[in-house]
Amino acid sequence: MAGINQRERDNGETGYNWLSFAGGDSWYMRFVVIFLGVAVGLVFYIWYTQHSNDVSPDSIAGYSYAIIGTLFLLMAAILYSLKRRSHRKKIVGQLHKSLNWHICFGVLGLVFLFLHSFGNFNPRTGTYALYGMIALAVSGMIGRFLDRLVPRMITGEVHKALTVMGDDRIETISQKLQAIVVHNTQDLHSFAVVPDAKSRDASSSLVSLSGPVSSDFSFIHKDQALQTPWDLAYISLEATPQELSLEANHYRFVPDRKSELARPGALMPGAQEHISELQEVEQAMQRELFYRYVIRYWRKFHILLALLTLGLTIWHLVYAGQLLLPVLLHR
Amino acid sequence: MLKSGFKSGASSAVMLHKTVPQVAQELHACIGCNECLLACPAVTGSITIDVLNRETLSGPVSIPVARFARACYQCAACVAPCPVGLHRDAMMMWLKVRMLRSGWGE
Repeated sequence: MAGINQRERDNGETGYNWLSFAGGDSWYMRFVVIFLGVAVGLVFYIWYTQHSNDVSPDSIAGYSYAIIGTLFLLMAAILYSLKRRSHRKKIVGQLHKSLNWHICFGVLGLVFLFLHSFGNFNPRTGTYALYGMIALAVSGMIGRFLDRLVPRMITGEVHKALTVMGDDRIETISQKLQAIVVHNTQDLHSFAVVPDAKSRDASSSLVSLSGPVSSDFSFIHKDQALQTPWDLAYISLEATPQELSLEANHYRFVPDRKSELARPGALMPGAQEHISELQEVEQAMQRELFYRYVIRYWRKFHILLALLTLGLTIWHLVYAGQLLLPVLLHR
Repeated sequence: MLKSGFKSGASSAVMLHKTVPQVAQELHACIGCNECLLACPAVTGSITIDVLNRETLSGPVSIPVARFARACYQCAACVAPCPVGLHRDAMMMWLKVRMLRSGWGE
């Protein structure tokens, strides 16, 4: 035990598990508030349905649920937004508490508005508003789940893209790859072309035959590809410089198709592995970018749903007002 | 290593991670004003910017900092309020990678 404590002191807190969660006191308090709020709403719902004949959304209990639910949703929407944009003196951790209250009021608002429906799910304005609220609350829950899961996935991808020392792995691999290419290119160049007697004879015969065409054929061994006039091959029966060059040392290393050396990158040992590694890192970075977009755009989607739900709720309130106002005015 | 996404502009671009030399440079440039922590919706309190800066790059990680590192969801809310334009989210990402790597040997 003493050994473990010593290790913890030396290394500190370690590990990063999937969906790691540390609730804290504030979170548990919100959980208790949600539990109590839902319990009170449900108990009243059960009591009311057993003791009243008017079980509908436009009953006294229905209106009560509607007002309380709307207030909860307004608090969920407004308090957190105001707190985020507030320029007043803040405390570290205050925004986290506001976020917990935002979730708490959102869930309570949804539950109370669900109870407000009293099981009436006819295709009317209220039902659409309720569906919007359900979608909004579900998107918030999924968002919280993504907030736990996706950063862990991003960390996994970044772990692949960085070296042990935290340097850019692409840069490191590129440098290694460049070193391999340079090294092997130097090796290939090191096979010097030594003109043999046969080729010297051929070039001398070409010189004698071509005469005025070219007075100096010393470049034949340096730049052997198609430097001589094309028609000289028909004049001499001797092997052309191009034919002779096939006997040169550096051409003898070119393998046939079945040879192991014929596979891609065989003449550059290690290059293919590094290229594959490079591609893996690039893919990891692409996934990282994608995950970051998921986090960002899920928030935007949640806000969009909130605006849609607000619109549907206003539509429902206007509809309910049209029904209620004449009744209230004629009393 | 720092790359931007499809959009241009400091506020709208999605940034990728930074390397340790870049993170070290940013930590060195931090003036300790605490604005990033005040704007963070993930931090639960009982943490100071000095401790966070000290434990980000290397050395043992205390429990509050480790909890914060795990709770951080890379929303980049900390970037805009920084008066010197630093990326606290990139620093937190390196801390996350350290936590991830430290847990592998267990």
